[in-house]
Amino acid sequence: MNIGHILWLALIVSPGSAAAADPFATGAVNSGFTLNGFGTLGFARSDNDQAQYVRDLSQPYGLTTNGTAKVDSVLGLQAAYRFDNKLDGMLQAISRYRYDGSYRPEISWAFLHYSPDPDLNLRVGRLGTEFYMSADSRLVGYANLTVRPPPDYFGPLIFSYLDGFDVDLARPVANGLLRGKLFAGYSPESSPFVGNITWDLSGTLLAGGYLDYQTGPWQIRLGHVQARFNKELPLDALVPGIIEAAPELSVSDKWARFDSLGVVYDPGPFQFQAMFSQTRHDSATYEDTRAGYAIASYRIGKATPYLGYSRTLSKANRFAPTSPPLAAQIASATHSDQYTWFLGGRWDIRKDLDLKAQVDWVRGSPSSIFPFRGDPVVWDGRMTVFSLTLDFVF
Amino acid sequence: MSITTTLLLTLCLILLPRARAEADLVVVVNARNGIERLTLDSVINIFMGRYRQLPSGIPAQPVDQPDGRPEKARFYRLLVNKDLAEINAYWARLIFSGRTSPPYQAKSTAEILDRLARQPGAIAYIERNQADPRVRIVLELEH
Repeated sequence: MNIGHILWLALIVSPGSAAAADPFATGAVNSGFTLNGFGTLGFARSDNDQAQYVRDLSQPYGLTTNGTAKVDSVLGLQAAYRFDNKLDGMLQAISRYRYDGSYRPEISWAFLHYSPDPDLNLRVGRLGTEFYMSADSRLVGYANLTVRPPPDYFGPLIFSYLDGFDVDLARPVANGLLRGKLFAGYSPESSPFVGNITWDLSGTLLAGGYLDYQTGPWQIRLGHVQARFNKELPLDALVPGIIEAAPELSVSDKWARFDSLGVVYDPGPFQFQAMFSQTRHDSATYEDTRAGYAIASYRIGKATPYLGYSRTLSKANRFAPTSPPLAAQIASATHSDQYTWFLGGRWDIRKDLDLKAQVDWVRGSPSSIFPFRGDPVVWDGRMTVFSLTLDFVF
Repeated sequence: MSITTTLLLTLCLILLPRARAEADLVVVVNARNGIERLTLDSVINIFMGRYRQLPSGIPAQPVDQPDGRPEKARFYRLLVNKDLAEINAYWARLIFSGRTSPPYQAKSTAEILDRLARQPGAIAYIERNQADPRVRIVLELEH
């Protein structure tokens, strides 16, 4: 909140506005103050009450056969101010279904951006995390083709933003454009753990970067991010003394590493994207995971039907024979082994407004409980999810 | 032969009015900024906000035609084979993740020509017959 306050102050104190300044006289483009917003009204239900389906694990409870609007609905407001051709600032607040079950507005972006050259960008403040391609805009339904980013892939991503900096540099190479980005900062967020118990992520160090090459209709990106957790998972609240009895479960000061590869082929009405990731954890609480997805779509006028497939598979951790049996049981709660086929359509009703419908067929092993909420005990691994969203920007 | 002639005539009748209605779109810059040609890739980079630097080193300032003008839809169709709805969704991603802004949207062709004359880095697209001595054509877009 502090960074947000500082930026608001900067916006208010700084002289001039778009209405007062004549952009022609200064020769500046897009100077002054702009206000934008985005939102999604969503509704989704499933055919299985054994587990609760969530958009990602930042949500404490999910949808069941009782439909809900909470999983996909979001509202965002954004103010930006351009000081001159090299310096600008942005502040974004969102309201969504949060880790604590509330919709309390939060500051998702608040930064100053300095660009001494068109090919170099420096930003300082609160920034969206770009763990994977498009991950920093995954709440903006209008900017995305599907109802939600595939949960098999994006679901374990509990970080939305960080307080820190990023630097990106672009250079034309051959006929394409090579872009590199580095970022680092600390997480100010919290995550739901079990039921109403939450996990304080503050102090978690996040650092990473990517190399991106774009040429013609092709884009390919290699990314790496590391997270070092600060505070312990509240395992002790469930099983008092368990971290002392099984120290390998500790996550404090342990690293998680995220490697990813993304490919987009976008020559026109036909579009294809695929991503692969590997997540490795130093802590034995979390299982190492491989995930991937692919989506193909074809635009026909205002309608864009699409078909997608996603897969996630984690590897069970081995515990020493001296560890309490509960340790292995706790770790098995982070097991994933499932795939999802999804079929849907996006309809661009008019400028700045779209309607989407999607069906997800989740097929997994009964041991695949990590992607879900509601502590599934009896779970057959099969679920069909029906979703409808209306996305808008202004 | 008579069938071929008839076919050719019909073809001419179909194609001629279309050719007249859809004049060539050209990409133009300030005539004095020293740039002779731009590649299609660099024009894509500038208008899609990926890399906005002209070969002369000055920052490129792209200017869009007003919303609803057929030139705008045709330009993006020829440039990246995309509908305006897709272009709009593309910019939504960049705007709400705090990256580059879309091109400045002019209110008229007169404003576009005025900007091109005043701003060394301005770059725009117009119909060929709208080009005047203040601007230089750096790329022709084919149908």
